[in-house]
Amino acid sequence: MAEALYRANVLVCGGTGCTASGSVKTFEALQSEIARRGLENEVRLIHTGCRGFCEQGPVMVVYPEGIFYCRVHAEDIPHLVEETLVKGRVVEALTYKEPETHQAIPHYREIPFYTKQQRIVLSNCGLIDPENIEEYIARGGYEALSKALFQMTPEQVIDEVKRSGLRGRGGAGFLTGLKWEFTYRAPGDVKYVVCNADEGDPGAFMDRSVIEGDPHSLLEGMIIAAYAIGAKEGYIYCRAEYPLAIKRLKIAIAQAEEYGLLGDHILGTDFSFHLKIKEGAGAFVCGEETALLASIEGRRGEPRPRPPFPAVKGLWGKPTNINNVKSYANVPRIIAKGAEWFASIGMPRSPGTAIFALTGKVNNTGLIEVPMGITLGEIIFDIGGGIPNGKRFKAVQTGGPLGGCLSAQDLNLRVDFDSLKDAGAVMGSGGMIVVDEDTCMVEFSKFFLTFATAESCGKCVPCRVGGKRMLEVLTRITEGKGRLEDIETIKQIAAGMDAGALCALGQLTPGPMLAALRYFENEFIEHIVDKKCKAGVCKALVRARCTNACPAEVDVPSYVSLVAQGRYAEALEIHRRHNPFALVCGRVCPAFCESRCRRGDIDEPIAIRSIKRFMADHEIEKPWTPPVYEPAKTEKVAVIGAGPAGLTAALRLAQKGYKVTVFEKLPVPGGMMAVGIPEYRLPRDILNIEIENIKRAGVEIKCNQALGKDFTIDSLMDKDGYKAVVLAIGAHQSRKLGIEGEDLAGVYHGVDFLRDIALGNPPDMTGKRVVVVGGGNVAIDAARSAWRLGASEVHVVYRRTRQDMPAHEEEIEAAEKEGIIFSYLTNPVRVIGENGKMTGVEVQNQLLGDFDRTGRRRPVPEEGSNFVIEADMLVPAIGQGIDLSWTDGSGVEANRDTTLVVNDALATTRPGVFAAGDAVSGPATVIQAVAQGNRVAVEVDYYLRTGKVEKIPVVPGYEVVEQQFNLEDYAEAKRPQMPELPVAERRGNFREVELGMDEDTIREECKRCLRCDLEWLESEGLAFEPVPDHLLVEDRVE
Amino acid sequence: MATVNITIDGQKIAARAGSTVLEAAREAGIDIPTLCYHPALPPEGACRVCLLEIEKQRTLQPACTFPVTEGMVVHTRSEKVISARKFVLELLLSDHPLDCMTCEMAGNCELQNLAYEYGIKESRFPGIQHSYPVDDPNPFIERDYNKCILCRRCVRACNYMNGVEAIGVVYRGFQAKIGTAFDGYLEDSPCEFCGMCVAVCPTGALIPKQRKGQGREWEFKKVTTTCSYCGVGCQFDLNVRNGRIVQVTSNWDAPANHGLLCVKGRFGWDYVHHPDRLTKPLIKKDGAFVEATWDEALDLVASKLSEVKEKYGSDAIGVLSSAKCTNEENYAMQKFTRAVLGTNNVDHCARL
Repeated sequence: MAEALYRANVLVCGGTGCTASGSVKTFEALQSEIARRGLENEVRLIHTGCRGFCEQGPVMVVYPEGIFYCRVHAEDIPHLVEETLVKGRVVEALTYKEPETHQAIPHYREIPFYTKQQRIVLSNCGLIDPENIEEYIARGGYEALSKALFQMTPEQVIDEVKRSGLRGRGGAGFLTGLKWEFTYRAPGDVKYVVCNADEGDPGAFMDRSVIEGDPHSLLEGMIIAAYAIGAKEGYIYCRAEYPLAIKRLKIAIAQAEEYGLLGDHILGTDFSFHLKIKEGAGAFVCGEETALLASIEGRRGEPRPRPPFPAVKGLWGKPTNINNVKSYANVPRIIAKGAEWFASIGMPRSPGTAIFALTGKVNNTGLIEVPMGITLGEIIFDIGGGIPNGKRFKAVQTGGPLGGCLSAQDLNLRVDFDSLKDAGAVMGSGGMIVVDEDTCMVEFSKFFLTFATAESCGKCVPCRVGGKRMLEVLTRITEGKGRLEDIETIKQIAAGMDAGALCALGQLTPGPMLAALRYFENEFIEHIVDKKCKAGVCKALVRARCTNACPAEVDVPSYVSLVAQGRYAEALEIHRRHNPFALVCGRVCPAFCESRCRRGDIDEPIAIRSIKRFMADHEIEKPWTPPVYEPAKTEKVAVIGAGPAGLTAALRLAQKGYKVTVFEKLPVPGGMMAVGIPEYRLPRDILNIEIENIKRAGVEIKCNQALGKDFTIDSLMDKDGYKAVVLAIGAHQSRKLGIEGEDLAGVYHGVDFLRDIALGNPPDMTGKRVVVVGGGNVAIDAARSAWRLGASEVHVVYRRTRQDMPAHEEEIEAAEKEGIIFSYLTNPVRVIGENGKMTGVEVQNQLLGDFDRTGRRRPVPEEGSNFVIEADMLVPAIGQGIDLSWTDGSGVEANRDTTLVVNDALATTRPGVFAAGDAVSGPATVIQAVAQGNRVAVEVDYYLRTGKVEKIPVVPGYEVVEQQFNLEDYAEAKRPQMPELPVAERRGNFREVELGMDEDTIREECKRCLRCDLEWLESEGLAFEPVPDHLLVEDRVE
Repeated sequence: MATVNITIDGQKIAARAGSTVLEAAREAGIDIPTLCYHPALPPEGACRVCLLEIEKQRTLQPACTFPVTEGMVVHTRSEKVISARKFVLELLLSDHPLDCMTCEMAGNCELQNLAYEYGIKESRFPGIQHSYPVDDPNPFIERDYNKCILCRRCVRACNYMNGVEAIGVVYRGFQAKIGTAFDGYLEDSPCEFCGMCVAVCPTGALIPKQRKGQGREWEFKKVTTTCSYCGVGCQFDLNVRNGRIVQVTSNWDAPANHGLLCVKGRFGWDYVHHPDRLTKPLIKKDGAFVEATWDEALDLVASKLSEVKEKYGSDAIGVLSSAKCTNEENYAMQKFTRAVLGTNNVDHCARL
């Protein structure tokens, strides 16, 4: 019967991912809509196999245009049919949007997810109807079989596969052709061909998709293999959890038998081959070939020692060839197109493509096929579209639960069998799990170890007991009960399992943990020594993610809950235990807490910073005299630098009873809070209120006192009798660009620029054209200040992309609103001038090159792209250093990056002298400085009491404040927007831009808090109502 | 005999072709420790105590399964090998009750011997230990899986020697244990209580209930004897302490049974010390049995038989012998019947 000539083909993905997201309903809706409109003879609907882009499912492609629609649900169908299939227009709402730019990309071929892929094994997946053999044949299917049977001897087939260099896609990468030859040469009349489709890695669905989307490619590969090695019977071992795959295999086998392509006398020749499906019960270990064979034979699925190898003694003791689904599926292509064609793809020693199931914290999850040798960064950032929600890439696990992780430093690694192995990961069958900064690598390793030990068959001792012991040690670490020697124990067990376990499952079980240890040993040590889980995952170590994310570990849930109840003073009191700068941080804090807020997983994080600001503003009229907890002590402590770190350290030491004097070089106290952050973000009178609070604790602040000029460390300690000194001198020196013309008049370095403005000596900017260089907060502050001072044109030139800017997103947005012109991927190369005065900046475009250690692409100069921005002023703001002019002879040493050398107790190289803040960490934020101020005070106190210098871990104390509102009420509540000074009113002044929120808004906002801290209590078996007395504790020092 | 040349620890050996490294080594008098290996059972390669370093192999290989090949070079005591063995032993001991003081198998326990040989006092890897109840109600075999090292010798003995397949491995990973189908009692399984599992168990996990508290291993005197139950002629070793049988153990060199036994041979010896057992002949006098001497009894039997034969003829006599007697005894009995009594009326009870 002649088929109708269709004018359009709609290919609806019927893979597992899209089926899960509802593609069956979509397909049915499409069918009925087409029928309703009587388009059955014009539009053909095909339910295909997996198209790979599972994250966007259900997906479909409309041909001949190649329009790619994603997340198409039944309710979208009438509109889609009307617009696209009747009127020929693209429905933009259903097209794919680029995750960062939100640009619509309507055509399949142009979507970055697909452009870098090379689909060989998956070439039919998503394109043909997997339940129709004729579609496979129409795409060249079974040509290779006919070529093999009629034009090639078995030896020639084996030779072709050998020459192609195809390596086993199950993961080990053994040469497929060589394996075939072993089986071919093994003596015996009865031989078997077996396909390992026991795909069991969590999150992996490569084999499944091949079978579901293109089952005949597997059959054809197996039939060719059977012909080559001389087998008459074969088995496909597929797990019973893959019902769709099994169904399609059964259909494919029946159709192939009907077409004379399988069974007796294939294509009329003497060659006969019968294929059976064996459904596995889902034991992971049955992916190991000897266990798989045992399972087919009906025995307990357990491996046995090799030799003898299955090629010699396999199924029922007969020579048996076992390959992975993808290995077989490659074979028809190799036979049809030739070994040379295949060998030319990918890498010389790893030819062909690799199929990965890309999952985890990556924008474009799904199934991808890429040429071997593509870099890891290309997979994750180009095909995968990067990390969602602007989070940082942390690691990627390859090879499934027995593989290993790779970190940002491996993003330029070429992915193939050998390079992954050399890097300590494995190719495995093709799982690729991406994780971001919110993943705890200890917990991550524990997840895989839990899986592997649960799947251990228990046959050999190293795997059965060793895996269990390792898991026990790791569990102990995640519960904060670890000991430092545990890391050595883990390594010993790992070595023993690797050397002694019977099969790959046992040998590779420690792999993920060893890889995690290699890259992230610090995280393990943090769990063990500091009892901290920075990612906020390990429940026993984390009160709430917000508190955990805060460098000063401010008790966020408690004060948010108290604010909700209108108990502002109590809330502020809790805040001040960890951070005395609530007014300041309520305005300028980057709010690490919000980036980890659990509510943010659902919709948007709680506006914690705004809540803090309201709380502090509300109490602004009540002067705070910080409590002094301990009796007055005789020892005097000098703090050098009155920035957030110095003032916090001074306050905490005063609260412990010490007599503290702060020496400040500048005429005003406050450090960067006073002379770095512009007044439109932090009004000076607000700052001064909090500095006055600290003075009320008995802290004396002496301004205009420069270290090395007005006094020295020697003079403090030897002459003036200070028993300890805290260096909190900050990072107040601008880094130089190091380019020609930087000494011309008009070049004004960022920190100096902001300081001069703050101290009342702003340069005359009226009508000037200004170029700011850099992407951090100083650059944005400088640009926005220049604009306020009357600059006619303000450019920000940054060598990377907007997403890579370290400045806070809201600052960048505000600058954009104020009309600042941003030039990304641009870098200055020369300052141009006349008569000693600058007239412009020559800049050069940058291209994105390799990935650097931070996971960002390195900018590479584009030759010949130079151009000039005419400008009167250049403000380089590319980083800050520390003034080290005083260090000679002081006994205090510095690192190469100008930070001070300190040990883990924040002690410098000179006894009695400690350091904190930017001088230790490099340029950071107020809250990080406050955290160091808190810490250094504990260390100084310990030193003064004992004469010893030791890292003192502090476990934050906490209170439990009851939840007093109804969970149901605020499910729909939205995060409020901060009211701002209109842009038109900002020019020519430094009035505060953010205006604060009103009481009702704030109290409602507080109620959005999910109080995940209480969940933690429950997980520890503690009731949170009523509050147990022993939970109301002060910070304790362990 | 075809041989292949291999080198073990520097010693050149002409090994039997087709043998394993373990067999070749033992035949050459080189000791390689084992736990799951038993010469009467197919090798398993599970315990990893016999691991060796074989040149050109990426990982350590088990001696018990690895076949010898020409030119193979093997190291049985390299640092790597010793540390792998110690690792395995320490892991096993980390999940083993260290109650050797009261364990019935102390002195004859292969795990204990290896721990001694490798100087392992305590494990570097302590952790959770199993605490299985020891409560199988059957009369013969005590199953204490807390002492089990999962060498699976019992499973192989059950499957390959007796062909009963009453037990296997149940559960997975650390939870794996030896059990019947659905992990129940032996009585509810096809178990025939042949006790072969007990015979091959290297530790105190499986012991005959009869021997509990009956003495230490080193106090037992082994007396090889032939089973008195049927005519197969199975031999075994009676373990005797203070003149009393304590248990029966397999004698692997026995020509008829190669160590195999059935429930009767292994556990059915309690009649030996039974108080009701006749130790002296009895003669019925005035309706009651009265103890007599052997001479008295034999004289009585001889006179009565002669009397019957004279009066009624030889065929008036029938003789019934016992399967519990040896072949030699039964031979003597039929000879006596035919040659002395002069009749063919002889039979025996066939079996017990």
